[in-house]
Amino acid sequence: MLKQVQHDITKIKKMKKIHIVGIVIIAVAIGAIFTTINNTSTYASFVEAAKEPGNEFHVVGKLNKDKEAVYEPKVNANLFTFYMIDNKGEERKVILHKNKPQDFERSEQIVLIGKMEGEEFVASDILMKCPSKYNDGKPQETASK
Amino acid sequence: MEYIGEHLLIGKVGNVFVILSFVFALIASICYFFAARDNDEAVSWKRIARISFRVHGLSVIGIVATLFIMLQNHYFEYEYVWHHSNKEMPMRYILSCFWEGQEGSFLLWSFWHVILGFILQRTSKNWEAPVMATISIVQAFLASMLLGIFVFEYRIGSNPFTVLLRQHPDFANIPLFDNPNYLEKLDGRGLNPLLQNYWMTIHPPTLFLGFALTVVPFAYAIAGLWKKKFSEWLKPALPWTFFGIMVLGTGVLMGGAWAYEALSFGGFWAWDPVENASLVPWLTLVGAGHVMLISRNNPQSLFITFLLSILSFILILYSTFLTRSGILGESSVHAFTDLGMSGQLLIYLFFFLILGIVLITVNFKHFPKQKEEEGIWSREFWMFIGAVVLLVSSFQIMFYTSLPVWNKLFNLKMAPAKDIIDFYNTWQLPFAFLVTLLIAIGQYFKYKNTDIKFFVKKISLSFISALLISLIMGYFLNFSKLFYFLLLFSSVFAVAANADYMIRILKGNVKKAGASISHIGFALILLGALISTSKKDIISQNSSGRSIESLGDKMSNNDNILLTQGDTLPMGKYFVTYTGKRFEGINIYFDVVYFSKNTDGSFKEEFSLAPLVQTNPRMGNVAEPDTRHFLTFDVYTHVTYADLESLKEKKAETKDEYSLAKNYTLKKGDTIYSSNAIIIFDSLSTSFDKTPYNLEKDDIAVMANLRVLDVTKKHQAKPIFVIHNNTIQPIGSKIDELGLQFMFWKLNPKDGNIEISVQEKKENVRDFIVMQAMIFPYINILWIGCIIMIIGTVLAILERLKRSSN
Repeated sequence: MLKQVQHDITKIKKMKKIHIVGIVIIAVAIGAIFTTINNTSTYASFVEAAKEPGNEFHVVGKLNKDKEAVYEPKVNANLFTFYMIDNKGEERKVILHKNKPQDFERSEQIVLIGKMEGEEFVASDILMKCPSKYNDGKPQETASK
Repeated sequence: MEYIGEHLLIGKVGNVFVILSFVFALIASICYFFAARDNDEAVSWKRIARISFRVHGLSVIGIVATLFIMLQNHYFEYEYVWHHSNKEMPMRYILSCFWEGQEGSFLLWSFWHVILGFILQRTSKNWEAPVMATISIVQAFLASMLLGIFVFEYRIGSNPFTVLLRQHPDFANIPLFDNPNYLEKLDGRGLNPLLQNYWMTIHPPTLFLGFALTVVPFAYAIAGLWKKKFSEWLKPALPWTFFGIMVLGTGVLMGGAWAYEALSFGGFWAWDPVENASLVPWLTLVGAGHVMLISRNNPQSLFITFLLSILSFILILYSTFLTRSGILGESSVHAFTDLGMSGQLLIYLFFFLILGIVLITVNFKHFPKQKEEEGIWSREFWMFIGAVVLLVSSFQIMFYTSLPVWNKLFNLKMAPAKDIIDFYNTWQLPFAFLVTLLIAIGQYFKYKNTDIKFFVKKISLSFISALLISLIMGYFLNFSKLFYFLLLFSSVFAVAANADYMIRILKGNVKKAGASISHIGFALILLGALISTSKKDIISQNSSGRSIESLGDKMSNNDNILLTQGDTLPMGKYFVTYTGKRFEGINIYFDVVYFSKNTDGSFKEEFSLAPLVQTNPRMGNVAEPDTRHFLTFDVYTHVTYADLESLKEKKAETKDEYSLAKNYTLKKGDTIYSSNAIIIFDSLSTSFDKTPYNLEKDDIAVMANLRVLDVTKKHQAKPIFVIHNNTIQPIGSKIDELGLQFMFWKLNPKDGNIEISVQEKKENVRDFIVMQAMIFPYINILWIGCIIMIIGTVLAILERLKRSSN
């Protein structure tokens, strides 16, 4: 037994430092991969999000422009509600605990981060894609001439 | 149809330059390839290669000049010009227009390669042929990005000279083009307002020069492998690598400064994919530069030196792919949309990746071997460890940033975590700790072997002083995480140890202290980042007067404050007032005044900020923060919401309408609030000059003296209670400035209580903004660190150039 341990120790001593460094690198890299995977949320539809009400999801969709988007900063500057249709065509009421983003109505695509609570989607954050920023606009006559 | 006023010739000229630049880059790469072989013909191949690269370089300069002329003269018949500029835009932004589009940014990149190529042709001596062969092939790939020709239905590149606006598929059948004189009536779409910022004129060229500089160590490494001169390439490549470190680092930091000054994500670093994409190659390049220093004498590190030198350039290509292929989609705010060139970018990326891998594997067994590995007390060992830490840190950042790529490859649905900043910080903090620790001790180790007694003796002074300083700082900063304390210590230690090294060991010889100085700068950057980020205080968070907790857990992310025009609200140690908005061109400035309260309760104006919203009907509104800089902290203010829609309606509303009256019963000394002022009932008076009020002798008249305070001024209101012929006929009092009207309706003779009504002008339903304000403490340490690091790197490069010329 003791001999075995001694044998092991000499074995470890014979290992080059470079190998130890290598093992540490691999361990950290594997750690990075695993924590990365654990630290992600999932893109989902409203229906999928409703199946796991406690979990946070990213839901991608479009603003329903026919329904009312309510923002009354004087009552609560951090509450904004609107209706979004997700990519599967399902519509839900969205409660966003943030200010209404500038230019909200122009958004082409919305990504919500949050959870389903009953029939409502409670979002803690919102990302908008305004294609206008890069692509929109057609050649048109200038007003001055 | 004949169109009037189009300038088609210049496009043809530009297109000729594009074709020439591509063809001659190809010729140059082939000729340089043959010139690099050791035979008799090499000399004549080299002659042709040199001329070809020059023709290529001049063509690239020609492209740049042509495009510039087109932008300057507003030739909107070209889609690129129309897309990225307009007539109203100030001339100084022409440069920004130039590189706003993908074509322009590739052009900028390629332009820097040309300049570097010209310099290398003159200075690289016998390395010229193999090094320039690689650079030429890189240039051929880049030039193909501008070709815009179709090969079997597949379009190669996007050419700004051949795409006419009226022929663009997106704009087919637009009636405007039925008019032969359409140009008369056309204005450009204009530059993205976000980019109309002075940072955007200096940040991209710096960053792209940094990108371009990674090609030099890459080309040298490839040349070293190819010509089997595994160690000889290090010496000429070293100054270039450190020059790249300096320029790319400056570019990355400028991006941070731009984000901090002009973007509204509340900080200088948000771990945005686009930011990561330029940070990671910098980290690997820093690693490459440092292992190059040890590899000259220590072949054991050759593998990692080749790896890092080649990887830095590959990562630049990968970053370009990430940001330009549209793959980042919704995960980044400022990713480009796809121009249909991602396939081309991938070919480009894999060509050089495979080239690198093949050359390293083929040559690996031929690398010179070392009999004994370096001892643990050698500088080499610890520099090697440092490079490894940087490599692992880069891997972590890149792996997480590449989530959309993994999704696409493996058909997954992973989305970035909600708090990615926190996730990255948690991972990168230990790496930063290790790196700063190594920076502190590194120079005290000697090459080969160090006498431990000497080491301990020399380092103990800075170790102990750093420990004391960081204990004191840590006590006051009161961090929430253990690693914050560790990084605080290690970065202070790094500053102290390098300063000590400079003073005691280098005897203050600044010329030789480049490394120490740049290490001090780097440690200060981390120190500033640590303090300003971890102690960032969102002062707009909790000032509404209501307790946030009572609103429940959900509301904990409230970072906004609502400011109604004229109101004063407490915010952090300040009081703030929104005084109104100003219109200047497309910008709307919101004036926010910060006050402090004196001991006597009066307000003192401290400073005012004017965060703005840029309005652009075609491209959407963009909010830009305003920051007040102090020596020890910054106050950052940014409008998150303003009611821009109702701007026009407001003006149309009738001015003299008052809202319904509100009644109050007051006793002396009572205070009431209107939406814009504080009203205090001071006293009653019966003996006042009654003549202005047309009162009769028998009338009973009592005047109420009301003190009305708004933020800056004290007003008086004197409504009068009048009984005329046994009926109550009060005389009101108005304060026009505040839109307030007071009526005195009742007087209780027993206790002196009064009843008054207050009416506010409807117009007083005033303008408001929702804003966010933060304090960044000691962020100046970070900026000072940036400058010191740049100075230090310049000194190190100069010293190295001097040594290599001797």
